[in-house]
Amino acid sequence: MSPSSSSKADRQAARDRVAAMRREQQTKERRRKAWIYGGATAAVLAIAAVVTITIVREQAAKPSLDAVQSYTVKQGHVSTAVSYEQTPPAGGEHAPVWLNCATYAKPVPNENAVHAMEHGAVWVTYRPDLPAAQVEQLRTAIPDTYTVLSPYPGIKAPVVASAWGKQLALTGPDDPRLAAFVRAYRQGPQTPEQGAACTGGTDGSGPAPGTSGPGT
Amino acid sequence: MSTAVPDQGNPTGGPRRPRRPQAMALALVLVLALAAAVLLGYRLAGPGTPSDTSPEAGFARDMQTHHNQAVQMALMLRDKGPEPTLAAVAYDIITSQQQQSGQMYAWLSMWRLPQTSTQPAMAWMAANPAVHDMGAMPTGAATAPGSGSMLLPDGRMPGMASPADLRTLQSSSGKDAETLFLKLMIQHHTAGIAMARAIQPLTDRPEVLTLAQAVVSAQAAEIDQMKTLLAAKGG
Repeated sequence: MSPSSSSKADRQAARDRVAAMRREQQTKERRRKAWIYGGATAAVLAIAAVVTITIVREQAAKPSLDAVQSYTVKQGHVSTAVSYEQTPPAGGEHAPVWLNCATYAKPVPNENAVHAMEHGAVWVTYRPDLPAAQVEQLRTAIPDTYTVLSPYPGIKAPVVASAWGKQLALTGPDDPRLAAFVRAYRQGPQTPEQGAACTGGTDGSGPAPGTSGPGT
Repeated sequence: MSTAVPDQGNPTGGPRRPRRPQAMALALVLVLALAAAVLLGYRLAGPGTPSDTSPEAGFARDMQTHHNQAVQMALMLRDKGPEPTLAAVAYDIITSQQQQSGQMYAWLSMWRLPQTSTQPAMAWMAANPAVHDMGAMPTGAATAPGSGSMLLPDGRMPGMASPADLRTLQSSSGKDAETLFLKLMIQHHTAGIAMARAIQPLTDRPEVLTLAQAVVSAQAAEIDQMKTLLAAKGG
């Protein structure tokens, strides 16, 4: 081997070593970057997961009111019996006197109950054959004020909750949507006469202005 | 070294700084963490108005119920044509408490909260140890034992007339009705003042503090007047 070829080989070896070092360094660099980006991504994903879980849990805890039926109903006072489109009525023309918010053991006149809903009441109706214990469960599940609880023959579900222009069929007193309905619509934004009283009206026992109430 | 990374972020050829992955990653994490914190904080604290379970919201709901019953009883008495002084007391209660009730209704609307709570009545008071000594609460009966609740055993708030009281008031007349009204309303106002005092250390919202103080002042004066009227009737 000539000295020149020897030095050429040496240079080649040196270049190889440098190249090897560079490769090693690049590998290290890639690894380091992988850690940084990987770590950052993991941190971001963890935060996103926490936020998502918080929101989803909050949403999941809320019973859905998707099944609530909305109706456009007439407002106005009449002294005659009214034929309502929904059973029980979810609003409409009604008697001049409102029904006092309370628990009733017997069916109440539609025309008075509708007036109470115009004042912000939620009217909870149940099938007359609902066991007494479940009726009591309904009574304690709803607030004392701005609610009416009464039996209603011939309704489409064991329990039906109504408010002005809103109605929801419920499976029974255990249905978690009852509380959600009451919260959304008792003196809710759909109430035509917010702040109007649900006392000082009638208890439905007097001569009814209308006579379309069930059982009357 | 990071100098191996081509600098794509500086096409204008200004003073070249080596791109720093650590700094970039850190900035990204910080920005996202901040966004998450803001989102969570907003959900938890709300946009600067009282939350659904705040003392302010509890007060606004429970005091409305309380006021509405006072209005109801005063209307019952007015319908009976009481003596002029008592008719004026009733008129005052009807108009002022109905107006205050409307204020509280509007607060909840503006705070975008339902009028209906998810919690039992008075929970906002019972949950706070600072106001837990409710010796001042004139319940007329023991509260529900061992429940930590301030409600009467039948679930009524202190000072509220029972359905039986209301029926008796409705069916009575003359001096009987006036005496019963005074007794019920003194008890009602005393509990109303206690509730209004209870919110004062729990809020810094001016609208709430103003109304609470108005309740304390007005109802204390009315209690004095009603006690005098009751004594004159031999009650």
